[in-house]
Amino acid sequence: MDLLIIYAIYLVVSLTLNLEAGYSGIPNFGKAMFVAGGAAVAGSVSGRLSAFIVGISYSGDYSNSAPIIINRLNAALSLNPILSVEILLLGILLAAGIGAALGYLASYPAIRLREDYLGMLLLASAQFFQIFLRSYPPVIGGVQGIEIPDFFGWANTGPGARDVVILGVVTLFAASVYIYFERIARSPLGRTLRAIRDNEVASRALGKDDVAIRKRVIIVASAISGMAGALLTFYVESVGPDTWSRQDWTFPFWVIIILGGAANNSGVAVGAFTYAFILKTTDRAKFLLQGILPSTTFNYLQYLTFASLLVLVLALRPEGIFPEKPSLTLKRQTVAAIIETNANGLEQKPDSSAKENS
Amino acid sequence: MAIGLTLTYLTTKVPNFAYGSFVTIGIYTALSFYSLYGISPYGALPFAFLVGCLSSVGMYLGILRTLARRGSSLVALMIATLAIDIAFVGIFGIYSDYLYRVYHIIYATNFPQLPGDFSLFGVPGIAFVAPCSLALITLGLWTLLTKAKFGVAMRASIENPSLARVLGINVEAVYVFAWMLAGGFAAMSGAYYSLWLPGGIDVGSKLIVEIFASSVLGGLASIYGAALGGVIIGASEILITTAGVDVFGSSVGIYQKGIPLVLMIITLLVLPQGLVSLRVGKILRLTRKLRSFRLSKYLRLRGT
Repeated sequence: MDLLIIYAIYLVVSLTLNLEAGYSGIPNFGKAMFVAGGAAVAGSVSGRLSAFIVGISYSGDYSNSAPIIINRLNAALSLNPILSVEILLLGILLAAGIGAALGYLASYPAIRLREDYLGMLLLASAQFFQIFLRSYPPVIGGVQGIEIPDFFGWANTGPGARDVVILGVVTLFAASVYIYFERIARSPLGRTLRAIRDNEVASRALGKDDVAIRKRVIIVASAISGMAGALLTFYVESVGPDTWSRQDWTFPFWVIIILGGAANNSGVAVGAFTYAFILKTTDRAKFLLQGILPSTTFNYLQYLTFASLLVLVLALRPEGIFPEKPSLTLKRQTVAAIIETNANGLEQKPDSSAKENS
Repeated sequence: MAIGLTLTYLTTKVPNFAYGSFVTIGIYTALSFYSLYGISPYGALPFAFLVGCLSSVGMYLGILRTLARRGSSLVALMIATLAIDIAFVGIFGIYSDYLYRVYHIIYATNFPQLPGDFSLFGVPGIAFVAPCSLALITLGLWTLLTKAKFGVAMRASIENPSLARVLGINVEAVYVFAWMLAGGFAAMSGAYYSLWLPGGIDVGSKLIVEIFASSVLGGLASIYGAALGGVIIGASEILITTAGVDVFGSSVGIYQKGIPLVLMIITLLVLPQGLVSLRVGKILRLTRKLRSFRLSKYLRLRGT
């Protein structure tokens, strides 16, 4: 169950990275920042807001008193599913907003800099964002992180029922993101993105506004990453700064994309599953081998495994498991039919062919 | 530190995300020497340099060159360096766990700064040694690049690899040498770092903000610029933070790391070629114009 939920969240974030890096050629090495932004705002607002609405007063800052009041909050929220869902949605929306805002900020240099400079800048920004979260307690409680109430408490009717509900929510989310991105990829916009990636000058000459399109791609991708971060926060019921390291929230998505195949959404889906599967199986193995190997060593071994996997894929099969598909063209008969109808229509309405060409 | 990054960038045109980890290599060499044999980090310096050289060359030959020969794109190489960085964190982690289990060093993943520093006029010796070695390294590189034949060959292969190859320079050897120096300098600065600040397995990864900022500020294409950038970034980080704490209270101290980032962003947007692209002549002409302007005003005043 845990595997599937984590898979869905990873899938969403890797799809957004795929839209940026795979289709549009924007090397986002600061993915952690956007996911963390969403998670942080969702975590920091939802807890305070629910305590305020339910009417539990606390002294001092929320992050310090959260462990004391969390049980009462959970009890109150589980009796009031509508309120829980409302706050949940609000948190996700806020996360999308902060993701989009961060994306807008990032897009400012992104459209001006070369790949290597941009990569350095985003990597450094993400690192700073993590430091900021760690050292600025009012957001998510500084080093210890923050506990947030359980907004799925109402679903906890039987053993594992909460997980089933969350799985449903994240699956719905992931599926809609997948369909949305797949539609983008197959649309004229998707071809424009690839055109910009492959040859900026040529696409500009054809009248494509590459700056505006890139900006929009970053904003949309970042907003969705933020939402994924918020969902993760609501699932694990807490958020802390140490989660959002480069090792855990930027690097894996690159592994997934490279493994599955850049600019190919179904490849990314397979890559995300492979990653989540290896991660969770090795986690299980870690648990079983506790006596033989200390668990921290195992974590480091995981890093090592994924890093070498990535380098191996880059060296031996740079296009990934599923290579990028050429964009589909219409069948010859279809084209002929369109031309024929146009030719017929042309006699009556001269403007109708303009729509087909655009 | 930034000098090394600039060196590697110059040769392969790939920003090396794993560069911070070479600093960590130095830190861990110092730690092992201190805790296993009781040798101070100064004593560990040559070994740190050596280990840094070896791993840097290994990384270049083993991974980056292999990938580049297979025709990987720039982004793919960047991802590879990111992967190497992650792998290094893993290796340090395993190593510190090993230290803990075999030698029972409990603080191996996160440790305070190492003792073994001498003091001079009541100031820790590192405050003298580090700037001096920076000056020495810059001077040494300058001599190498301008006076020695090999250095000239290096510059040639950086500026125009194919032409240098035609002239019979072994460009590959030059690149390997540059990477070796880079790794060595990074590990050396790591050994210094361990005398001054607490260390840990991901220190290098966290330092990446400052390292990139220094290199970019100095202009990624200039070694001297990197040295200058490093000094400016380091100084401004400390000075601005101290000033900020005085003005706004201690709460701004936590944004210390933001300063290099902001400087880096400003540099990239305003002066993408870095400080070295500023034409000294242009500035001089500007000031002369200003001065003559004032002078003429002054003369006119006297004339009337």
